[in-house]
Amino acid sequence: MTAQNDPVSPRPLRAVPNDGYTDWEAVYQDNAAWVYRTLFARVGNRADAEDLTAEVFLAALRPLRLTASVGEVRAYLRATARTVLAAHWRETLGREITSIEDIEQPPDSEEAISTAPRRVAQVLDTLPDRYRQILELRFLQGSSIKESAAELGISVANAKVLQHRALRLAAQVNDGGKS
Amino acid sequence: MNARGLRHYVDDLLRGRRPSPFQPDDFEAAQIRTAIELRAARKGPDVGDAPRQEFLTDLHRRLAEQMVGTPKQAAPKQNTTRRQVLVGTSAAAAAAVAAVSIDRAVTGSPTEAPAASSAAGQLTPNNGSWQRVAASSEVPDGLMHPFDLGSVSGFVRRVDGKPQAVSGVCTHQGCRLWFDAPDDRLRCPCHSTSFAPTGKVLTHQLPIAPKPLPTLVVREVDGVIEVFAPPHPDQPA
Repeated sequence: MTAQNDPVSPRPLRAVPNDGYTDWEAVYQDNAAWVYRTLFARVGNRADAEDLTAEVFLAALRPLRLTASVGEVRAYLRATARTVLAAHWRETLGREITSIEDIEQPPDSEEAISTAPRRVAQVLDTLPDRYRQILELRFLQGSSIKESAAELGISVANAKVLQHRALRLAAQVNDGGKS
Repeated sequence: MNARGLRHYVDDLLRGRRPSPFQPDDFEAAQIRTAIELRAARKGPDVGDAPRQEFLTDLHRRLAEQMVGTPKQAAPKQNTTRRQVLVGTSAAAAAAVAAVSIDRAVTGSPTEAPAASSAAGQLTPNNGSWQRVAASSEVPDGLMHPFDLGSVSGFVRRVDGKPQAVSGVCTHQGCRLWFDAPDDRLRCPCHSTSFAPTGKVLTHQLPIAPKPLPTLVVREVDGVIEVFAPPHPDQPA
């Protein structure tokens, strides 16, 4: 890291690859969707995902040199998104809730964008039926609390309690599975 | 504990609203994380998983505004927000670029890319004139002929019989380039940047690659090669 700013230390000589973008608009068109989806998967709401996506591109495009390869540009955008997301959590909840990990896969691959569907399926599998059902209804299907209560044949008050307990248990399972 | 903050946060997520900040403890943070993942695992139309077209269009407009005023040398803007500065100068971001590039730390064979994709654009002065840089006989095929007009310096050479010229000043910090004939490349004495005769960057050791060399407008008339250049600084037009 410090070597970056030290003019006397030798730095590796880099060849410039041939596959690059022609202009900043091409960078934006080609990468906006996966950057947005990567952030949405980690904030869970559109308003924050849009703001953070805008921040990534506003910060990243200006210093970007177009002689970088597509792979380098994508790695740079993912690294910028990681910094932007970390700052978002620091400013809103004072702690890191989700992060953008270092991964082997290309940043625009499904596995890199979100592991949420796979992780959620694993967690739901371990829950008792009623807990799984309320989470599926509320979070995955987008049913209202009233609709969910009717579906499960319980009162709205009970549905609220059920959802609360189900999320607590799911969080314990989910965090227990974290490496 | 902050049961109310958590409840509101989860409610907002479920309603698709921007959640409000609060100070969660460890277990509340874990529940928020799980709620976000549950939300993100949702599939189907109108979920928010894909960006809205209106958002993409609007951001494109904002970026265009920003990029129009961009100076050639990326200087930090005075009125950037704290977070933009943080990101723009982030060592982590720069390091990531360095990291992915490190496996390319080879002096690749200097293959020539098409001029269109490699040139930084053409140097076209506001107040230029055709100025002699060499006699035709001084620029045989395969030779890189240096010239210095006082206002502009560069190199002229022949490609398929036709003269072409590039600027002889490094696009990083303006050091004067020299031609390394055995390696067929222009080299910068300051930071080991090298350019192909077309102007394309071949090697560099900077966090982000410098721009390619601008090309100059060149013509050959009556046994003389001329470049369209601004007036000499000592003899302003």
